[in-house]
Amino acid sequence: MKEETAYDAIVIGSGMTGGWAAKELTEKGLKTLVLEAGRPIVPEQDYVEHVPAWEMKYRGLGDRRRQFVDQPIQRLCYACDEWSAKFFVSDTEHPYTQEAGKPFPWIRGRQVGGRSIMWGRQSYRWSDLDFEANLRDGIAIDWPIRYADLAPWYDHVEDFVGISGEALGLPQLPDSRFLPPMELNCAEKVVREAMAKHFGSERVLTIGRCAILTRDHNGRAACHYCGPCERGCITRSYFSSVNATLPAAEKTGRMTLRPFSIVHSVNFDARTRRAAGVRVIDARTSAALEFRAKIIFLCASALESVRILFNSSTPGFPNGLGNSSGELGHNLMDHIKAGGADGTIPGNEDRIELGRRPNGIYVPRFRNVKTKQEGFLRGYGFQGGGSRDGWERGITQTGFGPGFKNSIRQPGPWRFTFYGFGECLPNHNNFVELDKEKVDAWGIPVLKIHCAWSENELALRKDMSISAAEMLAAAGARNIEPFTDDASPGLAIHEMGTARMGRDPKTSVLNAYNQLHDVKNLFITDGGAMTSSSCVNPSLTYMALTARACDHAVAEMKRGNL
Amino acid sequence: MDRREALRILATGAALQLAPGNLLSVLREARALAGSQAAPRALNPHQDATVKAMAEMILPRTDTPGAADVGAAEFIDLILADWCVQQERALFLNGLADVDERSQTLFSQDFVECSAVQQADILNALGEKMEQEERMREQGHSPEAPPEPERRFYPMLRQLTLTAYYTSEAGATQELNFQIIPDRHDGCAAMQSGKQGQESQ
Repeated sequence: MKEETAYDAIVIGSGMTGGWAAKELTEKGLKTLVLEAGRPIVPEQDYVEHVPAWEMKYRGLGDRRRQFVDQPIQRLCYACDEWSAKFFVSDTEHPYTQEAGKPFPWIRGRQVGGRSIMWGRQSYRWSDLDFEANLRDGIAIDWPIRYADLAPWYDHVEDFVGISGEALGLPQLPDSRFLPPMELNCAEKVVREAMAKHFGSERVLTIGRCAILTRDHNGRAACHYCGPCERGCITRSYFSSVNATLPAAEKTGRMTLRPFSIVHSVNFDARTRRAAGVRVIDARTSAALEFRAKIIFLCASALESVRILFNSSTPGFPNGLGNSSGELGHNLMDHIKAGGADGTIPGNEDRIELGRRPNGIYVPRFRNVKTKQEGFLRGYGFQGGGSRDGWERGITQTGFGPGFKNSIRQPGPWRFTFYGFGECLPNHNNFVELDKEKVDAWGIPVLKIHCAWSENELALRKDMSISAAEMLAAAGARNIEPFTDDASPGLAIHEMGTARMGRDPKTSVLNAYNQLHDVKNLFITDGGAMTSSSCVNPSLTYMALTARACDHAVAEMKRGNL
Repeated sequence: MDRREALRILATGAALQLAPGNLLSVLREARALAGSQAAPRALNPHQDATVKAMAEMILPRTDTPGAADVGAAEFIDLILADWCVQQERALFLNGLADVDERSQTLFSQDFVECSAVQQADILNALGEKMEQEERMREQGHSPEAPPEPERRFYPMLRQLTLTAYYTSEAGATQELNFQIIPDRHDGCAAMQSGKQGQESQ
């Protein structure tokens, strides 16, 4: 049978935002082709969250020698372990280059579901503190939207996803429509109370807001607290496109999901000024294919979507399709992390946490919220949490024999860590371009990344360690150790900003509806769209932007504008 | 069947897709593999015996299985052969040779031939040295100096022994009360005195 090549819509990528585009467009009646570069995922075969360490060859230490060769970059991500390494790309098959002296580990997943399978699940709304930030500080360009534009779309995606958390009524971190929060553990309760006493309402500790169900929701089951979500979830208790949006799109009967479909480029029709379709390389046969559609959504990730547009250059767009502004690929951001502190929390020695809660704590941003902070712009939030030390503490002890063994059987002291995530300023000099000399396993030119922290991010990281130590001291912690580790941009895996939204086509790639100024039927709704980075985890905002853009696209089609 | 067991079986759906006959042959194959214990590859018989003895001293059989029961030495051999890089393997094997040298100097025999008291003396000495080095490291003394073989051997042995034990089925489930599917969360539960381990109970 001949394969269908004409659709109403094409969605490139099946991860966090591709899944949402697939669901929204098919539910609005569009016949939609979803192109995924990687392999299909069958949860019953591919998910490994209940495989215990003793069934793994290296007991969780990982196939290290293979990873040295095949995943030297991917293995820097904590989730790329012996179980989940298969959800991360091979660095040899998917190379990219970095400017010398400016490392940028680019952590990627190529399979149906993309990185939504291994994501951290932390889900926070942005606020006008974020959307007005560039305007207020006179940095880069202003966002073309405000919180009020996105609020109904946050509602929309949250009702489907299911976000557990605690409402706080904070202006800098608007509440979601929450499922019941997960519970803080003993040490976290101690720190929370001490912070309330010491910092009042300025610094607040709450349970992480996460896309994990605390009760059954939309046909998906409540979490059973096995722990390692990044290995998959057979009960679909955490949100991923495989667990939720793709099945919803499938249910409409209007989705064609095509794995092993590497998008090489978008075809541009210079006469109509519209994208006509996409050129695809079949990953298994290397056959060159073409598919056509009325609208195209790029949801391939901030860097891959841009790479596709660079590879789609035309005589009219010699520096990348839709790049009349010259901003395509620029303003690359990631969150700065690795600043914080840890310590031990005395007390509660006769208490223990039962179940492995796949979520930590959150301290919403408190710098530059009500008062101006000297030394840096913007701010950061803290993730982290408390837990009792486990058997690993026995490695550096000197004991042995029955007494030692019995002591290790008991849990160790309560330890608490604050781990900061800070906002990164948009900077034209942090950018990606095509590397003219290198191609991937399918002959497609790869990206070269130029990215480094600025003084502002480094100042944020330093302040994280100071304020975290203050909070631990207020909680009566012992052995307090502030830290600032040297983590490169890339490692927060929140890369964004490379096709920013804006009002002016001369300074931005996308308009207020994620639509390319230059190519009206082409949309980018992944991290590329972000005009600034906030300090909170971005996925929930990507989802809301995607749903909003889909709504706009279909309305424009109906009006005959696309 | 309770919910935990049901979830567990669901998670091994791949096995369920096999026809019953195939499933049996897979199980037979697994038993045969377990029976034909492969010879150590990184450790010679004497080194293997030394590792076995040291691991069992660190985590002996008590009311629960010990390091030898869970095959800690076999895991250490696997890690040395397939996981470590050459320098790490050499460091470990040299450290092991130094244990015998120390034992010969003190007691004129190899470690495995020593009495339990003599072996304990040697482990205590290795522990003291490890602590001393840790203090030096914290004070910032010669952090860049290449590690002498024995300097890093004992923490490596301890790391591998503890990993082998606590990630084994017996170590995880019997010693630490690890449950694959806790199916509940209680952030601050009272510990019951006595036999309970540290994992979710």
